[in-house]
Amino acid sequence: MINRLEATRYLVQQLTDEPVIASCGNPKFDLYTAAGEREANFYMWNSMGMASSIGLGLAMARPDKKVIVLDGDGAILMNLNSLTTAASKSPSNLVHIIWDNGQYQITGGQPTHTSGKADLESIARGAGFHKVSTVDTMAAFKEALSQILSEPGPWFLVAKTDSAGAPGRPPKSPVHIKNQFMKGLSVKGERQ
Amino acid sequence: MDWPEKIVSVLKANDICSISFVPDAVIGKILTIAEKDPYFHVTTLAREEEGIGIITGEYCGGRYGVLMMQSAGLGNCVNALASLAIPYQIPFLMFISQRGELGEFNACHMVMGKAIRGILDAMGIQHYTLDREESVDLILNGAIKTAYSSDQPVAIILSTALVGWKDEK
Repeated sequence: MINRLEATRYLVQQLTDEPVIASCGNPKFDLYTAAGEREANFYMWNSMGMASSIGLGLAMARPDKKVIVLDGDGAILMNLNSLTTAASKSPSNLVHIIWDNGQYQITGGQPTHTSGKADLESIARGAGFHKVSTVDTMAAFKEALSQILSEPGPWFLVAKTDSAGAPGRPPKSPVHIKNQFMKGLSVKGERQ
Repeated sequence: MDWPEKIVSVLKANDICSISFVPDAVIGKILTIAEKDPYFHVTTLAREEEGIGIITGEYCGGRYGVLMMQSAGLGNCVNALASLAIPYQIPFLMFISQRGELGEFNACHMVMGKAIRGILDAMGIQHYTLDREESVDLILNGAIKTAYSSDQPVAIILSTALVGWKDEK
């Protein structure tokens, strides 16, 4: 079992200026705890399920950047159709990581369907992703990440994690989060 | 130019190069023109809500997009509009092809068709209706300016008075 905060810390240590989109719930707490100072972090305060679609849009708009999506099992189960859209467009710079702990951790640990019969790796393959794997140890996560960051994707990685919490809380202002993120991508907000 | 050509032409003139859509017969007329032009990046969505996320990601990366869908699709977008596009201030146009008004044959499209303006009003999203070919340029250019100066989504409702209705008895 992987500790999600430890894996998030390791991930951001391997990055330079790659944009990272963290789903609502615990992925954004871990990302902020691990790397709150990074500009190129997008923290979602709601719109559960949308992380995968935001990542796809950004990956298509910015082929010059590897785009990392940190999603949860509960969140991706709410937007499984987005996997078929992402696989159909297949941007080689898209990296979709699922922290899969089989539960809705933030609402009290109620089980998700991945704790039962649902297998996200098979679902992603069925949607049309080819570079897909599941890891359940930190060593395997590091090895998979090394390949992901050096080879073209799109990648879909399921990391089986525990349900430890992280203390960090990102800023509450969505506009501040967006502005920092766009600054990290060197995009000006004003268009006219 | 007819109305689909006008729409595509105004989008291009305003640097809006990405179209995410779930098709219907009306949206199909716009896509047929846009897909012939390599300027446009066209993405078929499996569900309309994905488009709100995709356009958010594109906007943050410096690319401008629109969402095209039928009135039924607005129902699938409500939470993503309310909890992503509006609070994070993501500007874009949504083209909504309206069912359930003039010439509708299908009772199962009536309720969403009639509800779209109320739903948009409840979320504070400005909306404008295209019902005459000669006002397409004016309304679209104005809506684009309003969306991008307020950093908010704006809806364009395509009325059957302009686009026609499905010829089914």
